[in-house]
Amino acid sequence: MTYAPPEENTLGVIVGGTPRHSRRAAIKRLAGNDSPRLISLGTAFVGVGAAALVILRAIFGLIWCALQWDQYPNPFIALAAWIILLVVIAGMISAIRLMSGQLPHWMFALFLVGLAAVIALDLYAIWPLHDIGGYATSALAAGMTLLLVLTVRPSSDIIIAISTIGAALVIAIVVNVPLSGDKIAAQITAVSFAVLPTIIVLALIINFRRVIQIELGRVLVQSTLTAPRFAVGMLASEELARLDLAAEELLDSVADGSTPLPLTPKIASTAASLATELRLHLIEGRRETWLYHAITESDLLGKSVTLTDKGSLAGLLNSEQREGLLSTAWLFITDTTKRGAKNSVHITIAPSTSVVAPGLEDKVAIGITITSIGVVRNQIDASTWDAISNVGTYTDSMEDASVRLDIECLVDNPASQ
Amino acid sequence: MQFYGASPVNGVQDVQALLQMDLIVRERDRLLQRTARLASLSFLGVSLICLLLPGAVRPTTLLICVPLYLIIAILLFQVGRRHSLVWVLPAFAVGIVAIVLISATPDGPSEAGRSAALMLGSASLACLAVVLTTSLARQLVLLGSFVAVAGTTVLALDSFQKPVRTLALLTFSWILATIVGFWISSGVPLAVRRIASIGRAHRAERQASETEAQRRQGARLLHDTVLATLTLLAHSGVGVSADAMRQQAVDDARLLRQLRLGATPVPLASGDYNLSTPVSETVLGTTLESVKQRFGRMGLEVSWHGTGQVLLPSDVLDAFLLSLAECLENVRRHSGVTDAHVTITEDDTTVRAMITDSGVGFVLDDVDSASLGFKESVVARLKDVGGQARLFSTPGSGTTVVLEVPR
Repeated sequence: MTYAPPEENTLGVIVGGTPRHSRRAAIKRLAGNDSPRLISLGTAFVGVGAAALVILRAIFGLIWCALQWDQYPNPFIALAAWIILLVVIAGMISAIRLMSGQLPHWMFALFLVGLAAVIALDLYAIWPLHDIGGYATSALAAGMTLLLVLTVRPSSDIIIAISTIGAALVIAIVVNVPLSGDKIAAQITAVSFAVLPTIIVLALIINFRRVIQIELGRVLVQSTLTAPRFAVGMLASEELARLDLAAEELLDSVADGSTPLPLTPKIASTAASLATELRLHLIEGRRETWLYHAITESDLLGKSVTLTDKGSLAGLLNSEQREGLLSTAWLFITDTTKRGAKNSVHITIAPSTSVVAPGLEDKVAIGITITSIGVVRNQIDASTWDAISNVGTYTDSMEDASVRLDIECLVDNPASQ
Repeated sequence: MQFYGASPVNGVQDVQALLQMDLIVRERDRLLQRTARLASLSFLGVSLICLLLPGAVRPTTLLICVPLYLIIAILLFQVGRRHSLVWVLPAFAVGIVAIVLISATPDGPSEAGRSAALMLGSASLACLAVVLTTSLARQLVLLGSFVAVAGTTVLALDSFQKPVRTLALLTFSWILATIVGFWISSGVPLAVRRIASIGRAHRAERQASETEAQRRQGARLLHDTVLATLTLLAHSGVGVSADAMRQQAVDDARLLRQLRLGATPVPLASGDYNLSTPVSETVLGTTLESVKQRFGRMGLEVSWHGTGQVLLPSDVLDAFLLSLAECLENVRRHSGVTDAHVTITEDDTTVRAMITDSGVGFVLDDVDSASLGFKESVVARLKDVGGQARLFSTPGSGTTVVLEVPR
């Protein structure tokens, strides 16, 4: 056996290079890439809702088509377009029900070809009327049909497809309709009814998924609330196990002579870094509090929250106070009225000098200072203040563009436990 | 909380559940509000384009309607930011006024003007239905505003197109928007319930991870030897005979394998463990001997003085031996001499080890701030078992470390 150095360095987790690694790995491990659990996070629900919208839109279009039956030069071409559209809708709904995961490319291509045929036939049926906006039915409903694949294709596919449909309609209108006088408005409304609903629902679903992602992150971080005063991080055992295994393999290869002594510089430096990592992992954990782990394990908090807690005092908070503190940080970060605005929060925990009130001699006071940049004092939600008051009594002040909270927090004295 | 599918155990959890519920409701409302704003504003834009088409309405009507559109836009923008109905209801009112004004333009609106009014009533205002599904009061507001908007639009456009056609379009689009509202407002809690169950699984996994990490971290003495061997290997094994090195590697690899296979290590002696026999108290002497042997293999001659028959609880012994070995490792690596003296003394309450070398020594202040190894592996671990370490050194005249643990 030739000794192969381990591929992955775990130091990043400690020194802060890739704190997100742990959380993503945790989600992946919990849910798996193709396990039904993460897939079913509202996805089935999204699919059912989208199908309902598509079917409703089709019924509405069909009624419209029936009402203008007499005005078609050849109504059966328009009817053929509708039949194809209904077949495509029914086929796609059953295909999605039958399979899991992503829709294969060829099936999506077939779906798009079907929609293209529908649009072409419908436009052909009304071409002699020279008023596409006024008479198109299935061609307009086809855009909304794209919502069926909302859960099984990436959003970019749908955006490209709907843009193409919109462009095709506009080109057909420019070629076919004499753009003068009264007919323009009908063309504009028709194209917007064909394209906008799909885009709006798509935006809604993208935001919906973002909300679910944030909620998932928050729930995962909340598992730190019940952690002991000093805890190891979520992946500590895995990292230790991996390091132990790497050390074992190295030692084995030395023991059976497959790695000759003295070692080559490369393997020697691997041994050195293994020793360093192992040393750090052995002392890690017992020094860090739940709050540190919560922040480093969270995608969202890790990016915007910094923590100064020299005495590891966060570990003394009880679970209600922890919940309050975590929620406060969470609300400060997520509660942006402006989309894409970046808030940042700094939490400092230090011993407090204030005297504990009589009758509470078994408690000690610690001071928590939360400074948040990007949050406006009068836009802080009531629930945020509730969360803060769960931590302790607080005073708030404004400094430049930041809000500063000083929380006086009573905790059980660790010395009297 | 019912919402989470778990029963509250105590008040704290109840409060937490309520707070979480509150957060989710806010997230859901914000999602609905933003969707309503996006949809309403885009259709308002389309309506405005139709209105601005030449000849859609008379210039005077246009002059009044454009500011109204602006007001609606501002109200819609606020709908996206605030949960309150204060912004929704005026938007409906101003919208109705605009529809009436457009259809009442002198000589009647052209087709473009009618499209603008229809777009406003059946699309832009309809999309506000998205935020009107979350409570009974809001649903009533939804019904009322539909009657008002649809009624006005149908009556206002009565003389220009068939009321059935107008009403059909209005009803259809309002129903579509309402479905979207209900869809999302029930989809979010559904997903959140599933997420909560993932959270519970995650909590269990965190505890398991904690336990496993503790088991591995608890095997300190084992890791101590492994670390020492790895450090030797890091120097390419120079200075130690290849056979001794290989023998040490065999031992350490075996220990690591046992640890990996799930044995709970209760180390008896540094360098020569018995991983599977739990022993609560251990004689110091035999273990000291194996420490001596291990360092002997690495080229540091250790001389023992004093008692060798001290019984110590295994966790105390663990910390004691670990610290001792760490000190000897420091001597081996930094002192520049090849022998060290360890004196073990005991009284009623304390076991004391004094590690002395006559090496190069160092400035104490440097160690306090910089030496992670000493602080972590010696001071912290002794402290864990109620012991302490003291360090005496001057450059040029050797180093003495005193380790103390309670009996």
